[in-house]
Amino acid sequence: MEQIFHNLVIGFSVAATPINLLFALIGCLLGTLIGVLPGIGPVATIAMLLPITFNLSPVGALIMLAGIYYGAQYGGSTTAILVNIPGESSSVVTCLDGYQMARQGRAGPALAVAALGSFFAGCVATVIIAVAAPPLAEVALKFGPSEYFSLMVFGLIAATVLAHGSLIKAIAMVVWGLLFGLVGTDVNSGVLRFTFGVPELSDGIGFVIVAMGMFGTTEIIANLDMKEHREIFTSKVKNLWPTKQDFKDSWGAVLRGTALGSCLGILPGGGALLASFGAYSLEKKVSRHPEKFGKGAIQGVAAPESANNAGAQTSFIPMLTLGIPSNAVMALMIGALMIQGIAPGPQVMNEKPELFWGLIASMWLGNLMLVILNLPLIGMWVKLLTVPYRYLFPSILVFMAIGVYSLSNNPFDVLIMGVFGVLGYICAKLECEPAPMILGFILGPLMEENLRRAMLLSRGDPTVFFTKPISAGFMIGSLILLVIVALPAIRKKREEVFVEE
Amino acid sequence: MKIKSQKDFWSGIMFIGSGLFFALWAVEFYQMGTAVRMGPAYFPTVLGGLLVVLGAIVLLQSLAMEPEGDQAVHTPFNIVDLAIALGIYAILIFLSVKIGFSSEWAILGATVIVALLTVMFRPDAKPLVLITAATIFYGYLMKPLGLVIATAALVFISAAGGHEFKWKEVTILFVILILFSVFVFVKGLTLPFPIWPEYFS
Repeated sequence: MEQIFHNLVIGFSVAATPINLLFALIGCLLGTLIGVLPGIGPVATIAMLLPITFNLSPVGALIMLAGIYYGAQYGGSTTAILVNIPGESSSVVTCLDGYQMARQGRAGPALAVAALGSFFAGCVATVIIAVAAPPLAEVALKFGPSEYFSLMVFGLIAATVLAHGSLIKAIAMVVWGLLFGLVGTDVNSGVLRFTFGVPELSDGIGFVIVAMGMFGTTEIIANLDMKEHREIFTSKVKNLWPTKQDFKDSWGAVLRGTALGSCLGILPGGGALLASFGAYSLEKKVSRHPEKFGKGAIQGVAAPESANNAGAQTSFIPMLTLGIPSNAVMALMIGALMIQGIAPGPQVMNEKPELFWGLIASMWLGNLMLVILNLPLIGMWVKLLTVPYRYLFPSILVFMAIGVYSLSNNPFDVLIMGVFGVLGYICAKLECEPAPMILGFILGPLMEENLRRAMLLSRGDPTVFFTKPISAGFMIGSLILLVIVALPAIRKKREEVFVEE
Repeated sequence: MKIKSQKDFWSGIMFIGSGLFFALWAVEFYQMGTAVRMGPAYFPTVLGGLLVVLGAIVLLQSLAMEPEGDQAVHTPFNIVDLAIALGIYAILIFLSVKIGFSSEWAILGATVIVALLTVMFRPDAKPLVLITAATIFYGYLMKPLGLVIATAALVFISAAGGHEFKWKEVTILFVILILFSVFVFVKGLTLPFPIWPEYFS
């Protein structure tokens, strides 16, 4: 306990310096901005900014990028409530009841409950990270190559189980991503693999480029394929403060949402999106008036909004303690660490405590800023919603192109982004999820490296993954996950969760 | 044999094709090694094989399972056209490099031709092709012609891929974006982009 307090003091002394406060503010502002705007998410934004973070301090860079991720969770709810479209994918379920509340003239309380619920969840999640991360990192320090390999298998399987749509297709996407990750120089032998004589490929395909193509350009093209029609809820937002009854109705939902979101965030493959879906279903189940859901129940706003913010923050735990990304945003965070020359993993906490605790402390400060940014300044964000998409997408493209080109001042990178944009478009049309592929892509080289080392140590005996206890645990966990999803009853449930809402 | 799910059918083909490609290429050109000392071909071959198996399952499912929901592929154009366009693109680049053009000019030229063909024959594919082409122009025009012209190409061509195109609006948007790019990215963050064509400076 004292240790945690001591650590948090270090953290706040780093996070509260003017320059880092500024970075947190920039991150939160940007996050809210892209959260409010539909059609651009935290993945594309963080990918866009990655090259620029090279010029910043490591702490500053991480604080800013983290701010974008949880800031987007706040911004997304605004669009969901006022326009009935999710500004952010994790706000999909907020549309259901939030928009109904807005139609009943209660947009203000809906926005306030969303922001306050998120703030509460953010505070709790910050504490959870501070308490849970150090012991986890302690365990992770004992991991050998076989444990890491099994953990990655577990993470990838979990990511596919939690993805929606066909399980086999999701696993195929992971494998495909792993293969793309192998392009470049093989570390062990120095052989150039799958480079086809193109010198630019010898360092591998940049993760940022793939992410920008699969998430950024693909998103824009898909949006343009559909006709634009956006009805903005015009009534003025007034009476921001919820009534006593609203508070009474929503506090339980906020607590449950926070708890569920925090748990789902830690799981590999989890994060904000899954958390909000889960929380909404849970709330509907425990409610004594489930018929009110979808007709403006305040719990239907409070629970998913608390959950997505909690999930967004706790998904930092596997990234910070194990060096393993649980979703695409965390993969980008790892990219940001590597740009700064920091190898992600359990050692970061001991070697760079100011980075680790500074980031955690900044999350709490950032959440505080976000409440202020989102409640009193709500009018500004509402105005933003009236900007038509035809102005937005060329601007987004300009920033993406600058980001990719500045990676190495090489037009080839931009070409590769185009290639993955087209590939992402095809995948979207065939209902193949890009997120598992991105995870596979970033884990590919790591997995191969650990597989090789584990097999070398065990003299070619593959049973090593099942005889070492921790490793066996992960492997059995993966198997159980697969079996569970394959069971018809549960498969149906899983489809319901994703389809029904 | 009837294809019951178009989406799964084409996904299966895509996975099998790329799995085969990675596995065969690895076996052909890199050393396999042993399980103890894995060579560069080992992991890709295993993964490629796995991808083929997974793809085959998806493919079989598309033929056997009764699909739920809408399983047609909804693109505003035929997906085979897309394959043809990509083929033309690759061949154009390959041929022009063979003739002696530098790869930069080959890519630029091929992009122009495919974009024009799209606008003429498959206007429904404009969002996909013009957005992609616009970013490629940006990358390949930057070095010879500078930031201003590259940004102009990106903004005007991508805007042409949208639903509405008004010269006045797009021009204003371009001016704002180029001012922002120059002052924030080049002057502020000191990215080493040339602003004007080499020729002038």
